[in-house]
Amino acid sequence: MTISNLKEGADLKGVQPDGPLAQKWDSYKAKAKVVNPANKRKYTVLVIGTGLAGASAAASLAELGYKVKAFCIQDSPRRAHSIAAQGGINAAKNYQNDGDSIWRLFYDTIKGGDYRSRESNVHRLAQVSVSIIDQCVAQGVPFARDYGGLLSNRSFGGSLVSRTFYARGQTGQQLLLGAYGAMMRQVDAGKVELLTHREMLDLVTVDGQAKGVIIRNLKTGEMESYAGDAVLLCTGGYGNVYYLSTNAMNSNVTAAWRCHRRGAYFANPCFTQIHPTCIPVSGDYQSKLTLMSESLRNDGRVWVPKTQELAARVRKGEVKPSDIAEEDRDYYLERRYPTFGNLVPRDVASRNAKYVCDEGRGVGESGLAVYLDFAEAINRLGMSVVKDRYDNLFEMYERITGENPYHTPMRIFPAVHYTMGGLWVDYNLMTTVPGLYALGEANFSDHGANRLGASALMQGLADGYFVIPYTIGDYLAGAKPVDIKDTDSAPFREARAGIEAQVQKLMNVKGTKTVTEFHRELGLKMWDYVGMSRSEAGLKQILTEIPKLREEFWQNVRIPGTENGWNKNLEFALRVADFLELGELMARDALVREESCGGHFREEYQTEDGEALRNDEKYAYAAAWEFTGNPSEPVLHKEQLEFENVQLAQRSYK
Amino acid sequence: MSKMNLTLKIWRQASANAPGAMETYPLADVSEHMSFLEMLDVLNEKLIKEGKEPVEFDYDCREGICGTCGLVINGVAHGPRKLTATCQLHMREFKNGDTITIEPWRANAFPVIKDLVVDRTAFDRIVAKGGYVSVNTGSARDANETPIGKEDADKAFDAATCISCGACVAACPNASASLFVSAKVSQYTYLPQGHPERERRVLKMVSQMDDEGFGNCSNHGECEAVCPKGISIQNIAIMRREYVKAALKTGSAIV
Amino acid sequence: MQQAEKETAKPGPLASVLSIFNTTIGQKIITGLTGLGLVGFLVGHLAGNLTLFAGSEAFNSYAHKLESLGFILYAVELGLLAVFVFHIVFAISVTSHNKSARKSKYVDSRSAGKPSRKSISSQTMIYTGIILGLFTIIHVWMFKFGPGMAAGYHTDLHGLPARDLYRLVVEKFKNPWIMGSYSAVMLLLGVHVRHGFWSAFQSLGAYHPRYTPLIYTLGILIAVLFAIGFLALPVYIFFAPLTA
Repeated sequence: MTISNLKEGADLKGVQPDGPLAQKWDSYKAKAKVVNPANKRKYTVLVIGTGLAGASAAASLAELGYKVKAFCIQDSPRRAHSIAAQGGINAAKNYQNDGDSIWRLFYDTIKGGDYRSRESNVHRLAQVSVSIIDQCVAQGVPFARDYGGLLSNRSFGGSLVSRTFYARGQTGQQLLLGAYGAMMRQVDAGKVELLTHREMLDLVTVDGQAKGVIIRNLKTGEMESYAGDAVLLCTGGYGNVYYLSTNAMNSNVTAAWRCHRRGAYFANPCFTQIHPTCIPVSGDYQSKLTLMSESLRNDGRVWVPKTQELAARVRKGEVKPSDIAEEDRDYYLERRYPTFGNLVPRDVASRNAKYVCDEGRGVGESGLAVYLDFAEAINRLGMSVVKDRYDNLFEMYERITGENPYHTPMRIFPAVHYTMGGLWVDYNLMTTVPGLYALGEANFSDHGANRLGASALMQGLADGYFVIPYTIGDYLAGAKPVDIKDTDSAPFREARAGIEAQVQKLMNVKGTKTVTEFHRELGLKMWDYVGMSRSEAGLKQILTEIPKLREEFWQNVRIPGTENGWNKNLEFALRVADFLELGELMARDALVREESCGGHFREEYQTEDGEALRNDEKYAYAAAWEFTGNPSEPVLHKEQLEFENVQLAQRSYK
Repeated sequence: MSKMNLTLKIWRQASANAPGAMETYPLADVSEHMSFLEMLDVLNEKLIKEGKEPVEFDYDCREGICGTCGLVINGVAHGPRKLTATCQLHMREFKNGDTITIEPWRANAFPVIKDLVVDRTAFDRIVAKGGYVSVNTGSARDANETPIGKEDADKAFDAATCISCGACVAACPNASASLFVSAKVSQYTYLPQGHPERERRVLKMVSQMDDEGFGNCSNHGECEAVCPKGISIQNIAIMRREYVKAALKTGSAIV
Repeated sequence: MQQAEKETAKPGPLASVLSIFNTTIGQKIITGLTGLGLVGFLVGHLAGNLTLFAGSEAFNSYAHKLESLGFILYAVELGLLAVFVFHIVFAISVTSHNKSARKSKYVDSRSAGKPSRKSISSQTMIYTGIILGLFTIIHVWMFKFGPGMAAGYHTDLHGLPARDLYRLVVEKFKNPWIMGSYSAVMLLLGVHVRHGFWSAFQSLGAYHPRYTPLIYTLGILIAVLFAIGFLALPVYIFFAPLTA
């Protein structure tokens, strides 16, 4: 083991239902305890976050009869970042008669995740995918259709079958509005209480069980306490630890991290997905990165100038890309991966872009971009076909960069997009804190080390609509309902006082650096050392740097205004404080995992061709980290992943 | 890369009930590649360093889909570029020496929270009254059992692209929410799934819209012109049609 | 929760039906319907007016024919009055509601341009409307209830005694003040109808991506026609060598 002070705890088990893989979910449902309908209204479920997972869970649980309180940080639950998902949602409907099946979707997901996810969970996901589409269509989600009136599908992210349902480039929006509508219906029925502009800052546990939350009202600045019988964490991913990502500006890890500090293990934090086709950074002021749909790679060709000298002249603006002769261009993906070419998976495409830029052949002012060229496609297909396929994307690109991709190649660069890691959950989606569940991107999920395109929406909705309604009953049945008015007991008072003290402490620093400056600094370090490609030396380096930055933050951050009322800088400061702890855990997790798999690429572990080299013997486990009080000394628990149904194989895209 | 020097006139208001006023801030060296909100980020960083209170404005996805951001820029909701939310507006739309006025959405139904941040929860309360199809989880039929013609599906989608930003209200001389409400009504009018409760939906949503204190539609059409998703006022006509049918069938505006 | 409240306070049948006219959309529909009714009326009125160009006999016999309708005329006039009243009352109600929906005004407010249909016309409907309403009262008082046969405005139509409305009209419009103010108001009528016509269709739910642009253009045409048509009469009388 390379880190000397690594502490390891007991192995974890992810509750496996009986029976063969395909029957596990049915056998679970047959045996799970059920709450008596008359008793359901006595239980209160606190749902944190209202994206796909949160809204669908809130709606479904309220329909069953539970009392639900739903919290979101935005002014409206419909603004959760699920709304920004462009591509689509997978489901094993096999409407296209192309050989899709639940098994195939299961297998693709396990393989795509580089064999670092739990078989039983993934199979369940593939099973319920079918019902999700039915549910969404019944809600009036306007999926794309053929002239005959039936649903249309496309193939997505290198999949061999067409199983992706989509609503133009706004699938996430339409699915979220469906779930949001379902939840608002329950709001009107008085079964869901909606609390907007609320941020969860602590989990309250009573006798080790999750029984409430401490919430900051972002409008008034007041701390509020809510008691419940279970807490559902549906707060999304933590990509913003990198400062720049395709996440929304307010996406954060705080609720999940506070739960981690209260005993929920955090699993596989280093598994991050870097999306290859984003609009590059244009300057220091850059606040976020915009994703361009992956579908662009179907017709666009990725290249950089062949030589450093030529690239340098391009960067200075002396040569235009369209003036560069064919023989002076390096279509590096087509060259290295003749079979898949420009359509290699996200991690491979991203890493190769990094390599060519590291070689000094990047383009754009910063040198951190590669070309995605449509000139050949326009020649081959004609302008009108290209327009038909990509016009909205080209228009968006033009709006942001001021350049017209019909005339000059797009500049793209990878950006952090999705985090596969998250709170560890068992088959019930319950974390290591009884009564605390994590759904959607917030859990360490079914995507293993790498998520396939169009699978995030599927997982969020599967968890909310079709998994949690069954698994929560198993926990609540027989439990004594809490008194929701009792938020003044010692655990609540202590938690609240702790958060109020933290806010006070932050406000009192009155230092010289802004929250954004700290966040940007952390993000740059994370991108350099825990980004697309990681090395032992780099990780060890950042493990010494982050604690220093964290210390400086608590001594020198400047937060304007007061803690009363609306204060965006204070909101961000609380989040950055948690990112500064999470970042260290991600680096440690990356250091311990001495292999390359999916979104985690260690430079020391690659094949002769530079491909990821997995080590199934030693690392076929989910790494679940326990918080010990000191962010620099977490304890590692392993959940050994058992593959009884699939054969582990090396991915190859040559 | 060209740099701009700008004069910003920004609405400052401490809280919902406090009086507000325009304040002037010079800002130098603005890059044309910045987004409008990044330009405000730069201003805020400068203000914080100077020990002043930053300008509060709301935003989230910064890619034009969440609908959180929204500023009235030089008198136009979401600024000068068509079909573009504030977050996707870039500074190349402006030139060196420009004076830019920045105001919040103004409507009684959207009270100011602070500076440029407004409270749009009225929209959620309207949706709660019927902006959905009442179908419990698990009770759906197979998705392909009801064919829906592509034209209708496309029209439903066009209406469903609303991002609930509230620009329609901000731009309307009457602060009317008709475009927002009608987009939802219209989506479910095009789709057969919406038909079983179509009367109930339109009556209840319109009634809630009125209760929230939005104005009425006078057919100026400013809403369509500022809508970042280009939602047509045809939807308002559809809503009215649905409304008349529903009211006459029910014999009342109240369900 | 809301449902329960509403169920306990169930209104009677009349209140139920009236509630439709209490909502913004209900009121707007009435305004649109009555507006189109008034456009129809104006078409008839204009056609009648134009008989003046054919001379005193044509004009007076047209007026006489109308008056001899007797009971039917009263019924039509009553209906017309109701249309006016509904149009005005609902328009005022809608507008006052609209004006109060934004207490805090913009420091800078501009039109976003196409496809907006905001215009001077659309923004001044209530003002042009109020002026037209007041004008209508004066207009009716001046001519319909103006001096009749008893006051000497007497003529012979094919041997039958009739009111000499022609003379009254000519006399009035020879007055530059009356001619001037009438003409001004007729311009405002054009301004009102320019937005009002297409807007009425939109209020009634008639929108179509192909037909609506045609209706919109037709509205402008009708507005110009109304303004010129109604203007022509006083201007013609004032400048032409006519004698009462």
